[in-house]
This record gives sequence, C-alpha cells and structure tokens, in this order.
Amino acid sequence: MVNTVFLKIPSHPKFLSVVRVVTMKVCSLYSFEERLIEELKHAVDEACSNVIKYAYDSDHTKDIVIKYEFTKDRFIVVIEDKGKKSDLSMIKGRSLENVKPGGLGIHFIKKVFDIYKFDKRKRKGNRLVLIRNLESKDILEG
Amino acid sequence: MDIEITERGNSRILHISGEIDMYSSPILRDKIMSLIKKKIPIILIDLKEVSYMDSSGIATFVEGLKSLRAYNGRMRFYNMPREIMEIFRFARLDKIFEIYKSFEDAISK
Repeated sequence: MVNTVFLKIPSHPKFLSVVRVVTMKVCSLYSFEERLIEELKHAVDEACSNVIKYAYDSDHTKDIVIKYEFTKDRFIVVIEDKGKKSDLSMIKGRSLENVKPGGLGIHFIKKVFDIYKFDKRKRKGNRLVLIRNLESKDILEG
Repeated sequence: MDIEITERGNSRILHISGEIDMYSSPILRDKIMSLIKKKIPIILIDLKEVSYMDSSGIATFVEGLKSLRAYNGRMRFYNMPREIMEIFRFARLDKIFEIYKSFEDAISK
C-alpha cells in the first residue's frame, strides 16, 4: 500500500502555515501519535524555511513542492525546489551547546527523521528526502 | 500572530498569541528591539496563547536576550505551553532563559 499527497506552495513564508496544517492533517489521517505529529510538522516547516532562506535566497516568487508518502513502515517527505544547490555546510546547524541566534532548524529535522539526504540525481534545484521509519508506538491503535 | 504590550512599573509585558514562525518573527523582533532601544530593564514574555514556535522565533528571543544583557536587562518567560517548553529544552535554552510558571512568579523575582 502506498499513499501519496502532493502540496505546492509559493516560496513565501506566509504559506508555511499551510505546510503545517497539511502536514498535521495527513499525519492524523494515518493515526500518527500526537507528539510525533507535532515534531513532524515542525521538521517539515523548518525544511521549507531552509528552502526559502538558502535555495531561493528569500525570493518569494518561486515554488516549493512537498510530497508526503505513506507506506506500511515508513513516512517519507520529499521537498523539491528549483533554487541554487544547497550547501550542506550552510545548513549543518550550530552546536546545541553554542547558544546564538540561528542554526537550530536542522536539529529539529534530524530529531524526528531517521534519514535526511539530498537526491544527487536532481540536476537543477534540490530534492530533499526525509524518511521516518515507523514503529508501532508511532501509530495510535483503533 | 498578535502582540499586545502592557506596562507594569519599569517592566513591559509582551502578550503573544498565535504562531511564531519565519513569517511572523520579524514583527516580534521589531517589538522586542524597540523596547531594548529604550533600555527597558525587564521584558516579560507571556506565551500562554502561543500555539507554535519555530527556530526563527527562538533566534529572535536569543538575539533579544543578548542585546538585553548589554545593559543588564532581563527577559523572563511565563505561561510557557508544554510543546514550547519541549522545544526550549531540546535547544538547551531552558538553562539560558529565565522561565517562570506564572506572571506573579516572573514579576516578583
């Protein structure tokens, strides 16, 4: 069983609220546990914020495409843009011990997703692949 | 996001409601920085009605705290929802910020 949902938004920060609502809604359709939904919502929001900030240099006229894919044991989010190639060193984040503004987003993403990688086959822009391996505790019964 | 600012002695209280994200955090930053410019000694942040905060919101508060420290100002949070507290803990910010349960606790310190 594979189920897929697509969302396309303009690269304007005001549409991040749409990303959060859709992420929550699709995850609750699959009965994800409440706290997990919160963390996934936060992580996808941070990933899209990074696209706006780094790939598009805060150009708000572009597009971001988000694909949510649900399989029996994995939740996969693919985020695509047509911006400049992301420099991993720019988004590796700061040490959590080194308190200063910025550099936290990547930590929130890696906290909940087991796999965080850029698809190197994409020539123009970026395709970020986020994978959560689902365990029984992640899904509410009934 | 909405912000209402009230006064209590030499303190200013920011009652924030809604979501603090990349879209709304620049507005929050402007409000905080305008108080810092006036060298307000204590800024209290009421988070009771905040339903979401991302890393840009956190960065705004960290920047504010650093600016406040330049003149020995204080930033105190209260009414912090559980979800936001978890984010602060994860980012190790619960050790950096002054966080109180209630307004009475925050104002009386």
